[in-house]
Amino acid sequence: MAYDSHAATHGHDAHDDHKPHGWRRWVFATNHKDIGTMYLIFSGLMFFIGGAMAMVIRAELFKPGLQFVDPQFFNSMTTMHALFMIFGAVMPAWTGLANWQIPLQVGAPDMALPRLNNFSFWILPFAFTILLSTIFVPGGGPAGGWTLYPPLVLQTSEAFPMVIFAIHLMGASSILGAINVIVTIMNMRAPGMTLLRMPLFVWSWLITAYLLIAVMPVLAGAVTMLLTDHFFGTTFFTAAGGGDPVMFQHIFWFFGHPEVYILILPAFGIVSEIIPAFARKPIFGYEAMVYAIASIAFLSFIVWAHHMFTVGMPLAGQLFFMLSTMLIAIPTGVKVFNWTATMWKSSMTFEPPMLFALSFLFLFTIGGFSGLMLAIVPADFQYHDTYFVVAHFHYVLVPGAIFSIMAGVYYWLPKWTSKMYDLKLATIHFWLSTIFVNVLFFPQHFLGLAGMPRRIPDYATQFTDWNMVSSIGAFGFGLSQLLFPYIIWKCVKSGVPAPSRAWEGAHGLEWELPSPLPYHTWEEPPAMDVIAKGAAH
Amino acid sequence: MSVNYSAHEAEEKRRRAKRAAVLLGLVAAAFYIGFIVLTYFRSQH
Repeated sequence: MAYDSHAATHGHDAHDDHKPHGWRRWVFATNHKDIGTMYLIFSGLMFFIGGAMAMVIRAELFKPGLQFVDPQFFNSMTTMHALFMIFGAVMPAWTGLANWQIPLQVGAPDMALPRLNNFSFWILPFAFTILLSTIFVPGGGPAGGWTLYPPLVLQTSEAFPMVIFAIHLMGASSILGAINVIVTIMNMRAPGMTLLRMPLFVWSWLITAYLLIAVMPVLAGAVTMLLTDHFFGTTFFTAAGGGDPVMFQHIFWFFGHPEVYILILPAFGIVSEIIPAFARKPIFGYEAMVYAIASIAFLSFIVWAHHMFTVGMPLAGQLFFMLSTMLIAIPTGVKVFNWTATMWKSSMTFEPPMLFALSFLFLFTIGGFSGLMLAIVPADFQYHDTYFVVAHFHYVLVPGAIFSIMAGVYYWLPKWTSKMYDLKLATIHFWLSTIFVNVLFFPQHFLGLAGMPRRIPDYATQFTDWNMVSSIGAFGFGLSQLLFPYIIWKCVKSGVPAPSRAWEGAHGLEWELPSPLPYHTWEEPPAMDVIAKGAAH
Repeated sequence: MSVNYSAHEAEEKRRRAKRAAVLLGLVAAAFYIGFIVLTYFRSQH
Protein backbone atom coordinates (compact mmCIF):
# COMPACT_ATOMS: atom_id res chain seq x y z
CA MET A 1 0.00 0.00 0.00
CA ALA A 2 1.34 3.42 -0.92
CA TYR A 3 0.13 5.27 2.19
CA ASP A 4 2.84 5.19 4.83
CA SER A 5 1.38 5.87 8.26
CA HIS A 6 4.78 5.61 9.97
CA ALA A 7 5.96 8.64 8.12
CA ALA A 8 2.85 10.49 9.17
CA THR A 9 4.47 12.98 11.45
CA HIS A 10 7.26 13.81 9.06
CA GLY A 11 7.33 17.32 7.77
CA HIS A 12 4.94 18.90 10.27
CA ASP A 13 5.98 22.43 10.99
CA ALA A 14 4.66 25.28 13.01
CA HIS A 15 3.83 28.27 10.84
CA ASP A 16 2.85 31.80 11.57
CA ASP A 17 0.14 32.00 8.96
CA HIS A 18 -1.62 35.34 9.61
CA LYS A 19 -4.85 33.55 8.86
CA PRO A 20 -8.05 35.64 9.05
CA HIS A 21 -10.74 34.19 11.29
CA GLY A 22 -14.53 34.00 11.39
CA TRP A 23 -16.89 34.81 8.55
CA ARG A 24 -14.55 37.44 7.12
CA ARG A 25 -12.09 34.70 6.21
CA TRP A 26 -14.65 33.31 3.76
CA VAL A 27 -16.61 36.35 2.58
CA PHE A 28 -13.49 38.41 1.88
CA ALA A 29 -11.33 35.40 1.01
CA THR A 30 -8.38 36.04 -1.26
CA ASN A 31 -6.34 32.96 -0.35
CA HIS A 32 -6.43 30.42 -3.17
CA LYS A 33 -6.87 27.51 -0.74
CA ASP A 34 -9.90 29.11 0.95
CA ILE A 35 -11.49 30.01 -2.39
CA GLY A 36 -10.74 26.52 -3.70
CA THR A 37 -12.45 25.04 -0.64
CA MET A 38 -15.50 27.26 -1.13
CA TYR A 39 -15.74 26.26 -4.80
CA LEU A 40 -15.55 22.57 -3.89
CA ILE A 41 -18.17 22.83 -1.12
CA PHE A 42 -20.46 24.81 -3.44
CA SER A 43 -19.95 22.23 -6.17
CA GLY A 44 -20.83 19.40 -3.76
CA LEU A 45 -24.02 21.20 -2.75
CA MET A 46 -25.05 21.70 -6.38
CA PHE A 47 -24.19 18.04 -7.09
CA PHE A 48 -26.70 16.93 -4.47
CA ILE A 49 -29.38 19.42 -5.59
CA GLY A 50 -28.91 18.34 -9.24
CA GLY A 51 -28.84 14.73 -8.03
CA ALA A 52 -32.15 15.17 -6.20
CA MET A 53 -33.64 16.41 -9.48
CA ALA A 54 -32.27 13.28 -11.20
CA MET A 55 -33.99 11.16 -8.55
CA VAL A 56 -37.31 12.88 -9.36
CA ILE A 57 -36.74 12.08 -13.05
CA ARG A 58 -35.87 8.42 -12.42
CA ALA A 59 -38.72 7.95 -9.91
CA GLU A 60 -41.17 9.23 -12.52
CA LEU A 61 -39.66 6.94 -15.17
CA PHE A 62 -39.66 3.87 -12.93
CA LYS A 63 -42.79 2.68 -14.70
CA PRO A 64 -44.98 3.93 -17.55
CA GLY A 65 -47.77 6.39 -16.88
CA LEU A 66 -47.62 9.52 -14.77
CA GLN A 67 -46.76 8.75 -11.13
CA PHE A 68 -45.46 11.71 -9.15
CA VAL A 69 -45.10 14.91 -11.18
CA ASP A 70 -46.88 16.62 -14.03
CA PRO A 71 -45.13 16.75 -17.44
CA GLN A 72 -44.29 20.46 -17.15
CA PHE A 73 -42.49 19.91 -13.85
CA PHE A 74 -40.76 16.82 -15.25
CA ASN A 75 -39.42 18.83 -18.18
CA SER A 76 -38.35 21.53 -15.77
CA MET A 77 -36.45 18.90 -13.76
CA THR A 78 -34.55 17.64 -16.83
CA THR A 79 -33.62 21.22 -17.77
CA MET A 80 -32.59 22.27 -14.27
CA HIS A 81 -30.73 18.99 -13.61
CA ALA A 82 -28.53 19.68 -16.64
CA LEU A 83 -27.92 23.34 -15.75
CA PHE A 84 -27.12 22.51 -12.10
CA MET A 85 -24.82 19.62 -12.93
CA ILE A 86 -22.91 21.33 -15.77
CA PHE A 87 -22.62 24.88 -14.47
CA GLY A 88 -23.10 24.27 -10.76
CA ALA A 89 -21.38 20.96 -10.00
CA VAL A 90 -18.73 20.07 -12.58
CA MET A 91 -17.39 23.49 -13.66
CA PRO A 92 -17.05 24.90 -10.11
CA ALA A 93 -15.43 21.63 -9.00
CA TRP A 94 -12.75 22.07 -11.66
CA THR A 95 -12.28 25.71 -10.68
CA GLY A 96 -12.00 24.63 -7.04
CA LEU A 97 -9.36 22.06 -7.90
CA ALA A 98 -7.57 24.64 -10.07
CA ASN A 99 -7.58 27.13 -7.20
CA TRP A 100 -6.13 24.62 -4.79
CA GLN A 101 -3.63 22.99 -7.08
CA ILE A 102 -2.35 25.38 -9.74
CA PRO A 103 -0.46 27.76 -7.39
CA LEU A 104 0.92 24.77 -5.46
CA GLN A 105 1.98 22.98 -8.64
CA VAL A 106 3.62 25.90 -10.43
CA GLY A 107 5.32 27.30 -7.33
CA ALA A 108 3.22 30.49 -7.09
CA PRO A 109 2.20 32.11 -3.78
CA ASP A 110 -1.44 32.50 -4.89
CA MET A 111 -3.59 33.11 -7.95
CA ALA A 112 -2.49 36.18 -9.89
CA LEU A 113 -5.70 38.16 -9.21
CA PRO A 114 -6.97 37.16 -5.76
CA ARG A 115 -9.77 39.72 -5.44
CA LEU A 116 -11.10 38.84 -8.88
CA ASN A 117 -10.94 35.24 -7.70
CA ASN A 118 -13.16 36.09 -4.73
CA PHE A 119 -15.61 37.91 -7.01
CA SER A 120 -15.72 34.96 -9.48
CA PHE A 121 -16.74 32.64 -6.69
CA TRP A 122 -19.30 34.82 -4.94
CA ILE A 123 -21.21 35.41 -8.19
CA LEU A 124 -22.14 31.72 -8.23
CA PRO A 125 -24.35 31.41 -5.12
CA PHE A 126 -26.44 34.34 -6.40
CA ALA A 127 -26.73 32.83 -9.88
CA PHE A 128 -27.89 29.46 -8.60
CA THR A 129 -30.26 30.91 -6.00
CA ILE A 130 -31.94 32.81 -8.83
CA LEU A 131 -32.04 29.69 -11.00
CA LEU A 132 -33.40 27.45 -8.24
CA SER A 133 -36.01 30.00 -7.23
CA THR A 134 -37.56 29.82 -10.72
CA ILE A 135 -39.25 26.59 -9.58
CA PHE A 136 -41.45 28.74 -7.35
CA VAL A 137 -42.49 31.47 -9.83
CA PRO A 138 -45.89 31.20 -11.53
CA GLY A 139 -45.62 28.80 -14.47
CA GLY A 140 -42.57 27.04 -13.03
CA GLY A 141 -38.94 26.90 -14.03
CA PRO A 142 -37.42 26.61 -17.49
CA ALA A 143 -38.64 23.41 -19.18
CA GLY A 144 -37.37 23.63 -22.75
CA GLY A 145 -34.12 21.75 -22.16
CA TRP A 146 -30.68 23.13 -21.22
CA THR A 147 -30.09 23.89 -24.92
CA LEU A 148 -32.66 26.72 -24.66
CA TYR A 149 -33.76 26.36 -28.29
CA PRO A 150 -36.10 29.04 -29.60
CA PRO A 151 -39.00 29.28 -30.23
CA LEU A 152 -39.73 26.74 -27.44
CA VAL A 153 -37.68 28.58 -24.84
CA LEU A 154 -39.62 31.79 -25.52
CA GLN A 155 -42.66 30.03 -24.06
CA THR A 156 -40.93 29.89 -20.66
CA SER A 157 -43.00 31.41 -17.88
CA GLU A 158 -42.10 34.48 -15.86
CA ALA A 159 -38.91 32.60 -15.03
CA PHE A 160 -37.42 33.46 -18.45
CA PRO A 161 -35.52 36.66 -17.55
CA MET A 162 -34.34 35.04 -14.30
CA VAL A 163 -32.87 32.10 -16.21
CA ILE A 164 -31.17 34.39 -18.72
CA PHE A 165 -29.74 36.53 -15.92
CA ALA A 166 -28.51 33.45 -14.04
CA ILE A 167 -26.78 32.12 -17.16
CA HIS A 168 -25.08 35.48 -17.71
CA LEU A 169 -23.81 35.39 -14.12
CA MET A 170 -22.50 31.82 -14.47
CA GLY A 171 -20.76 32.81 -17.71
CA ALA A 172 -19.18 35.87 -16.11
CA SER A 173 -17.92 33.76 -13.22
CA SER A 174 -16.40 31.19 -15.58
CA ILE A 175 -14.72 33.81 -17.77
CA LEU A 176 -13.21 35.63 -14.79
CA GLY A 177 -12.02 32.32 -13.35
CA ALA A 178 -10.46 31.37 -16.68
CA ILE A 179 -8.67 34.73 -16.98
CA ASN A 180 -7.22 34.18 -13.52
CA VAL A 181 -6.00 30.70 -14.41
CA ILE A 182 -4.28 31.82 -17.62
CA VAL A 183 -2.67 34.87 -16.02
CA THR A 184 -1.48 32.78 -13.07
CA ILE A 185 0.05 30.07 -15.24
CA MET A 186 1.64 32.46 -17.72
CA ASN A 187 2.98 34.99 -15.18
CA MET A 188 3.41 33.31 -11.82
CA ARG A 189 5.33 30.13 -12.54
CA ALA A 190 8.45 29.72 -10.46
CA PRO A 191 11.72 30.37 -12.30
CA GLY A 192 12.72 27.08 -13.91
CA MET A 193 9.13 25.83 -14.19
CA THR A 194 9.11 25.89 -17.98
CA LEU A 195 5.89 25.17 -19.87
CA LEU A 196 7.01 21.65 -20.69
CA ARG A 197 7.85 20.97 -17.05
CA MET A 198 4.36 21.83 -15.88
CA PRO A 199 2.22 19.03 -14.44
CA LEU A 200 -0.40 17.76 -16.89
CA PHE A 201 -3.23 18.98 -14.65
CA VAL A 202 -1.91 22.53 -15.08
CA TRP A 203 -1.58 22.02 -18.84
CA SER A 204 -5.11 20.67 -19.12
CA TRP A 205 -6.46 23.65 -17.18
CA LEU A 206 -4.47 26.18 -19.26
CA ILE A 207 -6.05 24.82 -22.44
CA THR A 208 -9.48 24.60 -20.80
CA ALA A 209 -9.22 28.24 -19.73
CA TYR A 210 -8.57 29.35 -23.32
CA LEU A 211 -11.62 27.35 -24.40
CA LEU A 212 -13.70 29.04 -21.72
CA ILE A 213 -12.67 32.52 -22.84
CA ALA A 214 -13.53 31.69 -26.43
CA VAL A 215 -16.93 30.08 -25.91
CA MET A 216 -18.60 31.35 -22.74
CA PRO A 217 -19.08 34.81 -24.32
CA VAL A 218 -20.74 33.06 -27.27
CA LEU A 219 -23.32 31.50 -24.94
CA ALA A 220 -23.77 34.87 -23.25
CA GLY A 221 -24.31 36.51 -26.66
CA ALA A 222 -26.86 33.84 -27.63
CA VAL A 223 -28.92 34.25 -24.45
CA THR A 224 -28.70 38.06 -24.68
CA MET A 225 -30.26 37.77 -28.14
CA LEU A 226 -32.98 35.48 -26.76
CA LEU A 227 -33.70 38.13 -24.16
CA THR A 228 -33.97 40.94 -26.70
CA ASP A 229 -36.15 38.74 -28.97
CA HIS A 230 -38.46 38.14 -26.02
CA PHE A 231 -38.68 41.63 -24.57
CA PHE A 232 -37.40 44.20 -27.06
CA GLY A 233 -38.92 43.10 -30.37
CA THR A 234 -35.74 42.01 -32.11
CA THR A 235 -35.95 39.01 -34.43
CA PHE A 236 -32.53 37.37 -34.26
CA PHE A 237 -34.12 33.94 -34.06
CA THR A 238 -37.68 34.68 -35.20
CA ALA A 239 -38.39 33.62 -38.76
CA ALA A 240 -41.32 36.09 -39.05
CA GLY A 241 -38.92 39.00 -38.73
CA GLY A 242 -36.17 37.60 -40.95
CA GLY A 243 -34.34 35.75 -38.19
CA ASP A 244 -33.44 32.09 -38.10
CA PRO A 245 -34.12 29.70 -35.18
CA VAL A 246 -31.54 27.27 -36.64
CA MET A 247 -28.92 30.03 -36.30
CA PHE A 248 -29.42 29.78 -32.54
CA GLN A 249 -28.65 26.07 -32.67
CA HIS A 250 -25.42 26.76 -34.57
CA ILE A 251 -24.37 29.43 -32.08
CA PHE A 252 -25.41 27.32 -29.10
CA TRP A 253 -23.42 24.30 -30.24
CA PHE A 254 -20.43 26.45 -31.20
CA PHE A 255 -20.39 27.04 -27.44
CA GLY A 256 -21.83 23.65 -26.46
CA HIS A 257 -19.34 21.31 -28.01
CA PRO A 258 -16.21 22.99 -26.63
CA GLU A 259 -18.15 23.12 -23.35
CA VAL A 260 -18.11 19.31 -23.33
CA TYR A 261 -14.31 19.48 -23.49
CA ILE A 262 -14.25 22.16 -20.81
CA LEU A 263 -15.95 19.56 -18.62
CA ILE A 264 -13.58 16.73 -19.55
CA LEU A 265 -10.08 18.15 -20.27
CA PRO A 266 -9.24 18.79 -16.59
CA ALA A 267 -10.28 15.16 -15.99
CA PHE A 268 -7.57 14.12 -18.45
CA GLY A 269 -5.12 16.21 -16.42
CA ILE A 270 -6.11 14.63 -13.10
CA VAL A 271 -5.96 11.09 -14.43
CA SER A 272 -2.53 11.89 -15.88
CA GLU A 273 -1.40 12.85 -12.35
CA ILE A 274 -2.91 9.85 -10.60
CA ILE A 275 -2.00 6.94 -12.88
CA PRO A 276 1.78 7.63 -12.80
CA ALA A 277 1.62 8.08 -9.00
CA PHE A 278 0.04 4.69 -8.36
CA ALA A 279 1.86 2.93 -11.21
CA ARG A 280 5.12 4.36 -9.83
CA LYS A 281 6.28 5.25 -13.32
CA PRO A 282 6.58 8.56 -15.15
CA ILE A 283 3.72 9.28 -17.55
CA PHE A 284 4.33 7.66 -20.91
CA GLY A 285 4.73 10.31 -23.63
CA TYR A 286 4.36 13.56 -21.65
CA GLU A 287 4.69 15.83 -24.68
CA ALA A 288 2.30 13.70 -26.72
CA MET A 289 -0.23 14.10 -23.90
CA VAL A 290 0.11 17.90 -24.05
CA TYR A 291 -0.27 17.97 -27.84
CA ALA A 292 -3.21 15.56 -27.63
CA ILE A 293 -5.07 17.88 -25.21
CA ALA A 294 -4.32 20.86 -27.47
CA SER A 295 -5.50 18.93 -30.57
CA ILE A 296 -8.73 17.90 -28.88
CA ALA A 297 -9.33 21.52 -27.87
CA PHE A 298 -8.71 22.74 -31.42
CA LEU A 299 -10.94 20.07 -32.97
CA SER A 300 -13.73 20.91 -30.51
CA PHE A 301 -14.27 24.17 -32.44
CA ILE A 302 -14.97 22.51 -35.78
CA VAL A 303 -17.40 19.72 -34.91
CA TRP A 304 -20.40 21.56 -33.46
CA ALA A 305 -22.95 20.69 -36.13
CA HIS A 306 -22.77 16.96 -35.35
CA HIS A 307 -25.39 17.83 -32.72
CA MET A 308 -27.66 19.02 -35.53
CA PHE A 309 -27.49 16.41 -38.29
CA THR A 310 -31.26 15.89 -38.21
CA VAL A 311 -31.91 19.62 -38.66
CA GLY A 312 -30.79 19.23 -42.25
CA MET A 313 -27.62 20.44 -43.92
CA PRO A 314 -25.84 19.98 -47.25
CA LEU A 315 -24.08 16.66 -47.85
CA ALA A 316 -20.68 18.41 -47.77
CA GLY A 317 -21.56 19.76 -44.31
CA GLN A 318 -22.63 16.35 -43.07
CA LEU A 319 -19.39 14.78 -44.32
CA PHE A 320 -17.22 17.54 -42.88
CA PHE A 321 -18.77 17.40 -39.43
CA MET A 322 -18.84 13.59 -39.39
CA LEU A 323 -15.18 13.25 -40.36
CA SER A 324 -13.92 16.07 -38.15
CA THR A 325 -15.76 14.47 -35.21
CA MET A 326 -14.14 11.12 -35.94
CA LEU A 327 -10.72 12.83 -36.02
CA ILE A 328 -11.09 13.50 -32.27
CA ALA A 329 -10.70 9.76 -31.73
CA ILE A 330 -7.02 10.08 -32.74
CA PRO A 331 -5.73 12.37 -29.95
CA THR A 332 -8.14 10.70 -27.51
CA GLY A 333 -6.71 7.33 -28.55
CA VAL A 334 -3.21 8.69 -27.96
CA LYS A 335 -4.21 9.57 -24.42
CA VAL A 336 -5.84 6.23 -23.64
CA PHE A 337 -2.81 4.44 -25.13
CA ASN A 338 -0.39 6.53 -23.05
CA TRP A 339 -2.30 5.94 -19.80
CA THR A 340 -2.32 2.22 -20.56
CA ALA A 341 1.38 2.26 -21.49
CA THR A 342 2.15 4.07 -18.21
CA MET A 343 0.62 1.13 -16.34
CA TRP A 344 2.34 -1.47 -18.51
CA LYS A 345 4.74 -3.58 -16.39
CA SER A 346 4.40 -1.13 -13.50
CA SER A 347 4.10 -1.77 -9.76
CA MET A 348 0.51 -0.70 -9.38
CA THR A 349 -1.48 -0.38 -6.18
CA PHE A 350 -5.17 0.29 -6.03
CA GLU A 351 -5.99 3.01 -3.53
CA PRO A 352 -9.25 4.94 -4.05
CA PRO A 353 -7.80 7.65 -6.36
CA MET A 354 -6.33 4.98 -8.65
CA LEU A 355 -9.57 2.96 -8.59
CA PHE A 356 -11.58 6.00 -9.69
CA ALA A 357 -8.96 6.82 -12.34
CA LEU A 358 -9.09 3.28 -13.73
CA SER A 359 -12.88 3.32 -13.73
CA PHE A 360 -12.65 6.60 -15.63
CA LEU A 361 -10.35 4.97 -18.18
CA PHE A 362 -12.70 2.07 -18.95
CA LEU A 363 -16.05 3.84 -18.71
CA PHE A 364 -15.04 7.09 -20.41
CA THR A 365 -13.80 4.97 -23.30
CA ILE A 366 -17.27 3.38 -23.56
CA GLY A 367 -18.71 6.92 -23.71
CA GLY A 368 -16.16 7.76 -26.40
CA PHE A 369 -17.14 4.76 -28.50
CA SER A 370 -20.86 5.55 -28.36
CA GLY A 371 -19.84 9.09 -29.37
CA LEU A 372 -18.20 7.67 -32.48
CA MET A 373 -21.45 5.83 -33.27
CA LEU A 374 -23.36 9.10 -32.95
CA ALA A 375 -20.88 10.82 -35.28
CA ILE A 376 -21.96 8.61 -38.18
CA VAL A 377 -24.61 10.66 -39.97
CA PRO A 378 -27.05 7.92 -41.07
CA ALA A 379 -26.78 6.18 -37.71
CA ASP A 380 -27.33 9.50 -35.92
CA PHE A 381 -30.63 9.90 -37.78
CA GLN A 382 -31.76 6.82 -35.82
CA TYR A 383 -30.14 7.61 -32.47
CA HIS A 384 -30.91 11.34 -32.34
CA ASP A 385 -33.09 12.44 -29.40
CA THR A 386 -33.25 8.90 -27.99
CA TYR A 387 -31.99 7.50 -24.71
CA PHE A 388 -28.86 6.32 -26.56
CA VAL A 389 -27.70 9.95 -26.53
CA VAL A 390 -28.55 10.22 -22.82
CA ALA A 391 -26.50 7.07 -22.13
CA HIS A 392 -23.60 8.41 -24.22
CA PHE A 393 -23.20 11.78 -22.56
CA HIS A 394 -23.79 10.41 -19.07
CA TYR A 395 -20.97 7.89 -19.61
CA VAL A 396 -18.75 10.80 -20.59
CA LEU A 397 -19.82 13.08 -17.76
CA VAL A 398 -20.42 10.81 -14.76
CA PRO A 399 -17.61 8.20 -14.86
CA GLY A 400 -15.69 10.73 -16.97
CA ALA A 401 -15.88 14.11 -15.25
CA ILE A 402 -17.48 13.29 -11.87
CA PHE A 403 -15.32 10.22 -11.16
CA SER A 404 -12.16 12.21 -11.97
CA ILE A 405 -13.25 14.98 -9.63
CA MET A 406 -13.68 12.34 -6.91
CA ALA A 407 -10.33 10.80 -7.88
CA GLY A 408 -8.72 14.24 -7.58
CA VAL A 409 -10.29 14.94 -4.18
CA TYR A 410 -9.24 11.51 -2.86
CA TYR A 411 -5.73 12.08 -4.26
CA TRP A 412 -5.12 15.54 -2.81
CA LEU A 413 -7.33 15.45 0.31
CA PRO A 414 -4.45 14.15 2.51
CA LYS A 415 -2.36 17.11 1.29
CA TRP A 416 -5.13 19.66 1.89
CA THR A 417 -6.09 18.41 5.35
CA SER A 418 -2.78 16.76 6.38
CA LYS A 419 -4.97 13.81 7.40
CA MET A 420 -5.68 10.46 5.79
CA TYR A 421 -9.28 9.53 5.11
CA ASP A 422 -10.86 6.13 5.69
CA LEU A 423 -9.41 4.18 2.75
CA LYS A 424 -11.74 1.22 3.29
CA LEU A 425 -14.86 3.38 3.22
CA ALA A 426 -13.59 5.23 0.15
CA THR A 427 -13.00 1.88 -1.59
CA ILE A 428 -16.60 0.89 -0.76
CA HIS A 429 -17.70 4.26 -2.17
CA PHE A 430 -15.79 3.46 -5.34
CA TRP A 431 -17.30 -0.02 -5.84
CA LEU A 432 -20.87 1.13 -5.13
CA SER A 433 -20.44 4.07 -7.53
CA THR A 434 -18.95 1.96 -10.31
CA ILE A 435 -21.52 -0.82 -10.06
CA PHE A 436 -24.53 1.48 -9.80
CA VAL A 437 -23.37 3.90 -12.49
CA ASN A 438 -23.38 1.00 -14.96
CA VAL A 439 -26.75 -0.30 -13.73
CA LEU A 440 -28.04 3.25 -14.18
CA PHE A 441 -26.70 4.17 -17.59
CA PHE A 442 -25.89 1.00 -19.52
CA PRO A 443 -29.57 -0.06 -20.01
CA GLN A 444 -30.23 3.40 -21.47
CA HIS A 445 -28.24 2.29 -24.54
CA PHE A 446 -30.77 -0.51 -25.09
CA LEU A 447 -33.72 1.85 -24.51
CA GLY A 448 -32.34 4.30 -27.05
CA LEU A 449 -31.63 1.67 -29.66
CA ALA A 450 -35.19 0.40 -29.16
CA GLY A 451 -36.44 3.91 -29.89
CA MET A 452 -37.31 5.45 -26.53
CA PRO A 453 -37.24 9.24 -26.92
CA ARG A 454 -35.53 11.44 -24.31
CA ARG A 455 -37.19 14.26 -22.33
CA ILE A 456 -40.54 12.50 -21.84
CA PRO A 457 -42.28 11.75 -18.52
CA ASP A 458 -44.19 8.74 -19.90
CA TYR A 459 -43.29 5.95 -22.32
CA ALA A 460 -44.60 2.90 -24.15
CA THR A 461 -44.88 -0.25 -22.03
CA GLN A 462 -42.19 -2.19 -23.91
CA PHE A 463 -39.56 0.10 -22.35
CA THR A 464 -40.61 -0.72 -18.77
CA ASP A 465 -38.05 -3.36 -17.72
CA TRP A 466 -34.88 -1.46 -18.61
CA ASN A 467 -36.34 1.74 -17.17
CA MET A 468 -36.90 -0.04 -13.87
CA VAL A 469 -33.31 -1.33 -13.88
CA SER A 470 -32.03 2.14 -14.73
CA SER A 471 -34.05 3.74 -11.91
CA ILE A 472 -32.81 1.16 -9.38
CA GLY A 473 -29.27 2.02 -10.51
CA ALA A 474 -30.06 5.72 -10.05
CA PHE A 475 -31.33 5.29 -6.48
CA GLY A 476 -28.31 3.11 -5.62
CA PHE A 477 -25.89 5.60 -7.18
CA GLY A 478 -27.58 8.56 -5.48
CA LEU A 479 -27.54 6.92 -2.05
CA SER A 480 -23.93 5.76 -2.36
CA GLN A 481 -22.82 9.35 -3.05
CA LEU A 482 -23.80 10.28 0.50
CA LEU A 483 -20.66 8.41 1.53
CA PHE A 484 -18.48 11.00 -0.21
CA PRO A 485 -19.21 14.02 2.04
CA TYR A 486 -19.23 11.68 5.07
CA ILE A 487 -15.73 10.39 4.24
CA ILE A 488 -14.45 13.96 3.79
CA TRP A 489 -16.12 15.14 7.02
CA LYS A 490 -14.72 12.17 8.94
CA CYS A 491 -11.25 12.84 7.51
CA VAL A 492 -11.32 16.50 8.56
CA LYS A 493 -12.70 15.67 12.01
CA SER A 494 -10.77 12.58 12.99
CA GLY A 495 -8.45 11.44 10.20
CA VAL A 496 -5.05 10.04 11.17
CA PRO A 497 -2.13 12.35 10.34
CA ALA A 498 -0.85 11.93 6.79
CA PRO A 499 2.78 12.42 5.75
CA SER A 500 3.70 15.38 3.57
CA ARG A 501 3.99 13.00 0.60
CA ALA A 502 0.85 10.99 1.20
CA TRP A 503 1.37 8.54 -1.67
CA GLU A 504 4.82 7.11 -2.16
CA GLY A 505 4.73 7.43 -5.97
CA ALA A 506 3.37 11.00 -5.97
CA HIS A 507 5.47 13.62 -7.75
CA GLY A 508 4.98 17.33 -8.13
CA LEU A 509 5.76 20.52 -6.24
CA GLU A 510 2.70 20.21 -3.99
CA TRP A 511 4.19 17.08 -2.41
CA GLU A 512 7.43 18.95 -1.61
CA LEU A 513 5.51 21.23 0.77
CA PRO A 514 5.20 20.34 4.46
CA SER A 515 2.04 19.01 6.07
CA PRO A 516 -0.06 20.63 7.45
CA LEU A 517 0.14 23.02 4.54
CA PRO A 518 1.00 26.55 5.62
CA TYR A 519 -1.77 29.06 4.95
CA HIS A 520 0.59 30.85 2.57
CA THR A 521 2.78 28.65 0.38
CA TRP A 522 5.65 29.34 -2.01
CA GLU A 523 6.06 32.89 -0.73
CA GLU A 524 9.58 32.29 -1.92
CA PRO A 525 9.62 30.42 -5.23
CA PRO A 526 10.90 26.85 -4.98
CA ALA A 527 14.53 26.22 -5.83
CA MET A 528 15.52 24.71 -9.17
CA ASP A 529 16.47 21.37 -7.62
CA VAL A 530 13.04 21.15 -5.92
CA ILE A 531 11.36 21.80 -9.29
CA ALA A 532 13.53 19.17 -10.96
CA LYS A 533 12.76 16.69 -8.16
CA GLY A 534 9.04 17.42 -8.43
CA ALA A 535 8.88 16.93 -12.19
CA ALA A 536 7.65 13.40 -12.78
CA HIS A 537 8.66 13.17 -16.43
CA MET B 1 19.08 27.68 -4.39
CA SER B 2 15.89 29.60 -3.84
CA VAL B 3 15.10 32.69 -5.91
CA ASN B 4 13.78 35.98 -4.52
CA TYR B 5 12.19 38.67 -6.65
CA SER B 6 13.32 42.27 -6.26
CA ALA B 7 10.63 44.90 -5.63
CA HIS B 8 11.05 46.09 -9.22
CA GLU B 9 10.63 42.57 -10.62
CA ALA B 10 7.57 41.98 -8.44
CA GLU B 11 6.01 45.25 -9.62
CA GLU B 12 6.73 44.36 -13.25
CA LYS B 13 5.16 40.92 -12.72
CA ARG B 14 2.01 42.54 -11.27
CA ARG B 15 1.80 44.95 -14.21
CA ARG B 16 2.19 42.10 -16.70
CA ALA B 17 -0.52 40.09 -14.95
CA LYS B 18 -2.98 43.00 -15.03
CA ARG B 19 -2.21 43.72 -18.70
CA ALA B 20 -2.78 40.07 -19.62
CA ALA B 21 -6.06 39.97 -17.67
CA VAL B 22 -7.37 43.09 -19.43
CA LEU B 23 -6.34 41.69 -22.81
CA LEU B 24 -8.12 38.39 -22.17
CA GLY B 25 -11.21 40.29 -20.98
CA LEU B 26 -11.20 42.23 -24.26
CA VAL B 27 -10.93 38.98 -26.22
CA ALA B 28 -13.98 37.63 -24.35
CA ALA B 29 -15.89 40.87 -25.00
CA ALA B 30 -14.98 40.66 -28.70
CA PHE B 31 -16.43 37.14 -28.92
CA TYR B 32 -19.61 38.32 -27.17
CA ILE B 33 -20.17 41.34 -29.40
CA GLY B 34 -18.84 39.59 -32.50
CA PHE B 35 -21.40 36.82 -32.36
CA ILE B 36 -24.27 39.24 -31.78
CA VAL B 37 -23.16 41.36 -34.77
CA LEU B 38 -22.74 38.22 -36.90
CA THR B 39 -26.26 37.07 -36.07
CA TYR B 40 -27.65 40.54 -36.73
CA PHE B 41 -26.21 40.58 -40.26
CA ARG B 42 -27.36 36.99 -40.81
CA SER B 43 -30.93 37.99 -39.89
CA GLN B 44 -30.84 40.80 -42.49
CA HIS B 45 -30.70 38.32 -45.39
